[in-house]
Amino acid sequence: MPRVVRSTIIDAPCGRVWEVLRDFNGHDRWHPAVATSAIERAQSADKIGCVRRFKLTDGSELREQLLGLSDLEQTFSYCLLDTPIPLFNYIAHVRLLPVTDGDRTFWHWESRFTTPAGEERRMTEMVGEQLYQGGFDAIRRHMRETA
Amino acid sequence: MARVYVSSVVNARNDRVWARVRDFNGMPNWHPAFAESRIEGGEPVDKIGCVRDMRLRNGDRIREKLLGLSDYDMFCTYSILESPMGVENYVATLRLTPVTDGDRSFVEWTAEFDCPPEREAELVTNIGGIFQGGFDALKRAFGG
Repeated sequence: MPRVVRSTIIDAPCGRVWEVLRDFNGHDRWHPAVATSAIERAQSADKIGCVRRFKLTDGSELREQLLGLSDLEQTFSYCLLDTPIPLFNYIAHVRLLPVTDGDRTFWHWESRFTTPAGEERRMTEMVGEQLYQGGFDAIRRHMRETA
Repeated sequence: MARVYVSSVVNARNDRVWARVRDFNGMPNWHPAFAESRIEGGEPVDKIGCVRDMRLRNGDRIREKLLGLSDYDMFCTYSILESPMGVENYVATLRLTPVTDGDRSFVEWTAEFDCPPEREAELVTNIGGIFQGGFDALKRAFGG
């Protein structure tokens, strides 16, 4: 089962980064791959079990469900329900930790999934680079723009 | 129960930083506050339960017991057996986590302990200062 782990340091206090990331319906405001985001059945974006529907910039759609969210631990977990790409049993975890030295943020993003034989490398690369590293870079820009 | 949390970023891969800090008898090799260290009873430094007897540069003596060590998860947990600080039930953990973006290391040092309430603020500040002093030394050693 492929596992992807990516982490970075964001030059902003943990509370500010968490404010942006905890909004399960807000990724269209900062992630370059996401064009629009909506929560199904008009549920609140911090209701555990809510489902978000993304339209990606390439026109494809995917649905993800919020499995856990903690403001105390600054963590959330979610899974993919429907996707146009061969990612199955995809569960991801996001965790923020304060870097007290310099009032910065450590951001850890990891997932496990299954994919058909032969697709492991392409999917691992796509998740790690486009989704996670792309997300890190986008938040860094977002933090500078909204500073 | 009082809690101390200090974290930083060291500009080197976590296996290189870990090689420097995993030695339970090696504090004087990297932490400027520590002058001497020896393991009691001639036990191996990575035997869980071994005790280090250290002398600080200011002359204080401190004895600490190794409670947990993992080369896989890169953490070290220990308790204080004897110190002049006046703390009870003191348990601390030093932990390394890779920062994949830029091949750096996220380093965390936490401690929990009991003490008289009027001494808590002072102890939290002093212990946090010792932890940050170690991180500053690691940052210097690894160039940032």
